[in-house]
Amino acid sequence: MTADFQVADLGLAAFGRKEIQLAEHEMPGLMAVRAEYAASQPLRGARITGSLHMTVQTAVLIETLTAIGAQVRWASCNIFSTQDHAAAAVAVGPDGTPDAPSGIPVFAWKGETLGEYWQCTEKALTWPDGAGPNMILDDGGDATLLVHKGAEYEKAGAVPAADEDDPEEWQLILQTLRGSFGKWTAIAGGIKGVTEETTTGVHRLYEMAKAGTLLFPAINVNDSVTKSKFDNKYGCRHSLVDGINRATDVLIGGKVALVCGYGDVGKGCAESLRGQGARVIVTEVDPICALQAAMDGYQVATLEDVVETADIFVTCTGNRDIITAAHMSRMKHQAIVGNIGHFDNEIDMAGLSKWQGVRRENIKPQVDEFMFPDGHGVIVLSEGRLLNLGNATGHPSFVMSNSFTNQVIAQVELFTKPEDYPLGVYTIPKHLDEKVARLHLDALGVRLTQLTKEQAEYIGVPVEGPYKAEQYRY
Amino acid sequence: MPLMSGLLPRFRDELPFDGLSVAACLHVTAETAVLVRLLRAGGARVSLAASNPLSTQDDIGAALHLDDGIEVFARAGVDRSGYYRHIASAIGDGPDLVVDDGGDLVHTLHTSAAAVLGRVRGGCESTTTGVIRLRRMAADGALAFPVIAANDTPAKRMLDNTCGTGQSVLDGILRATNTLLAGKTVVVAGFGACGAGIASRAAGLGARVIVTEVDPVRALDASLRGYQVLPMALAASLGEVFITATGSVDVVGAAEFERMRDGAILANAGHFDAEIDVRALSAVAVAVHEGVRPHADAYELADGRRLLLLAEGRVVNLVAAEGHPAEVMDLAFGIVALSLVWLAGNAGKLAADVHPVPAGIDAEAARLVLAAMGTQIDVLTPTQQQYLESWRIGS
Repeated sequence: MTADFQVADLGLAAFGRKEIQLAEHEMPGLMAVRAEYAASQPLRGARITGSLHMTVQTAVLIETLTAIGAQVRWASCNIFSTQDHAAAAVAVGPDGTPDAPSGIPVFAWKGETLGEYWQCTEKALTWPDGAGPNMILDDGGDATLLVHKGAEYEKAGAVPAADEDDPEEWQLILQTLRGSFGKWTAIAGGIKGVTEETTTGVHRLYEMAKAGTLLFPAINVNDSVTKSKFDNKYGCRHSLVDGINRATDVLIGGKVALVCGYGDVGKGCAESLRGQGARVIVTEVDPICALQAAMDGYQVATLEDVVETADIFVTCTGNRDIITAAHMSRMKHQAIVGNIGHFDNEIDMAGLSKWQGVRRENIKPQVDEFMFPDGHGVIVLSEGRLLNLGNATGHPSFVMSNSFTNQVIAQVELFTKPEDYPLGVYTIPKHLDEKVARLHLDALGVRLTQLTKEQAEYIGVPVEGPYKAEQYRY
Repeated sequence: MPLMSGLLPRFRDELPFDGLSVAACLHVTAETAVLVRLLRAGGARVSLAASNPLSTQDDIGAALHLDDGIEVFARAGVDRSGYYRHIASAIGDGPDLVVDDGGDLVHTLHTSAAAVLGRVRGGCESTTTGVIRLRRMAADGALAFPVIAANDTPAKRMLDNTCGTGQSVLDGILRATNTLLAGKTVVVAGFGACGAGIASRAAGLGARVIVTEVDPVRALDASLRGYQVLPMALAASLGEVFITATGSVDVVGAAEFERMRDGAILANAGHFDAEIDVRALSAVAVAVHEGVRPHADAYELADGRRLLLLAEGRVVNLVAAEGHPAEVMDLAFGIVALSLVWLAGNAGKLAADVHPVPAGIDAEAARLVLAAMGTQIDVLTPTQQQYLESWRIGS
């Protein structure tokens, strides 16, 4: 019998375990949740499939879920983002050894092919007895997509053939579904809900809810304040320049950096680049975000305006076709191009590969220079995928503790109170959002002021919160 | 001004200027009043003229004259000839020591008042513009006595030029225009200590800052701090607010006015009114709407654009706001006062040249400021001291 996991090298488990122990100290929210639910085990009976970057921080999330009763199977949600030592440590488990692993089934390694990626996702969704999960913890919505598309095609009677123009990845998804045809309707029927980590996946969920195709309730973890404001802004602020530095070691001070998109991620990226001394220019489509960028002192231009003069390009729009091959053909020699949005379609990698006469020169893992016939080269990070995960180690533990504590709370909510969450997409109630923040204050030495009863009455809130109206924007 | 207050009892006891006369040419403000009273308390006979025709606060001048026995020659809004007449009056029959701000008093001493030049033992210059001028005089062999460049100590550069000018120039522009700087493009001409402070404060208010420079080292510094650096010829069409801080002349002139956007604001933070070519601006204007707000004149150009000149192109932080905050002037004038004491005892040993402030004086002044702020610092241990002085200990 083959082992029920697939990782790069179990020998890395000891190193992974050390890093997990360091991360636990930096993830006070998750550790507090473990302590709170140690006795009650609210996730007993939960079979959770996770599709989320298999990093050290995610290992702490996984082991928090199991510590409060869940069974878990896991895949990464990106072909490059797995930290192999973290995956090994999760597979081996805190009590196992590489020779006798006793951890959880994880299917992830750094540098999967797209075909392997979708196979991993399918394996994470399939328990050894053939049954599926009853909960999904998703990041980007790929696990949810596989279940929904599987059920949809089963209802239609067949998986459609791919069009010639379909991207390679879509062809691989269809291939995966063809190989597993027949099991998805049952799996979808057994799922009580999904908690979604990121903007892109949340966007898909709302689209499906609107179209009436959503099959189970969903909690949008992304829009918790303690997730989006922290993970998206502070996390990217930390890991963007980390990724650029590790990939290129280029001096950022004095460079012109273009940040495409000024949402929470863009705001964090612009601030970190400015903090390193770069002159930051922002592109936006939304007049409100564009005005915000201008008020924050950034030049707001179009990509066309600056494509020939900027040194560093970062995409974080959540949209597609932001930087095209034609743009890259006009860039300065050794301009750096990277994406920190969830998907790899912000930079047109396919168009770049097909560009007449382009030659790809690998410099080191996740760093490639694409040489154009005119002699100029463009350095592309992580093949256009999330550079903070591909070139660095993603968000730091403390930031992830905030978003993952939201995830655990959302899983507990959906699993234990299904009656409160009929089919639809929900955000986490504000008092739980505030709880996540509260769990992280002590570690930072924050001293919170307590409202007096009179003050609480004066502004019309309970002394213990929630403190803000739903529409408050923080 | 806790530093100056701390010096007052010491000067009263020690009378370092006993029997000496000091002629000062400074902006007549509350902070200057504290300095000249301190010199007076130290035993000096003090005369004071204004170093700028627009910066005089008449109530202060009057109070110094009436209450403190200081001979004050200054009136707000005085014309050019009156301005120089006041300086001549302050020089009188020749002081022992001089304090200057911009070099007009020293220049007058070497020209129209040269008859009494021989009496002067030494002086202090408190601003960069004046020091540049004095260095040129010294290079020409024209300077007749030693001058301490009190503008330029490490401590003062930080507090006065970068922080003080940085803050008060923005204050002056805001008071004169009430314009929102967030989202605006601000062109800062010159990235010296003043320009760097102005740029960082403008950026802190949300402006997009463009820097113009002639010095490649300063330009590189500005670039590495994330500012766009452009020649003025290119910046002229982009800026919405222009702030000159170069110490030079004709930084923005007719060619730039031609390119500027309608409503562009022009402010000068440098000492003299020569950085913005006001004459050229008047020449290209078809109408001047004076005083559209206090200290703001709108120059209407032939094509209908209006350029808003602040403070008639004179130093905007003093004219439209209140100059440096007192904390800044406390250190600046503390260094001047301590330098004058040192000059009183040592001027004879110095060549007729521009001299830096002795490092010990800068450290003493900084120490007095820190004490007033209640900030404690570490003291090197003898072992550390020895280590730093030795070349024998390596890895």
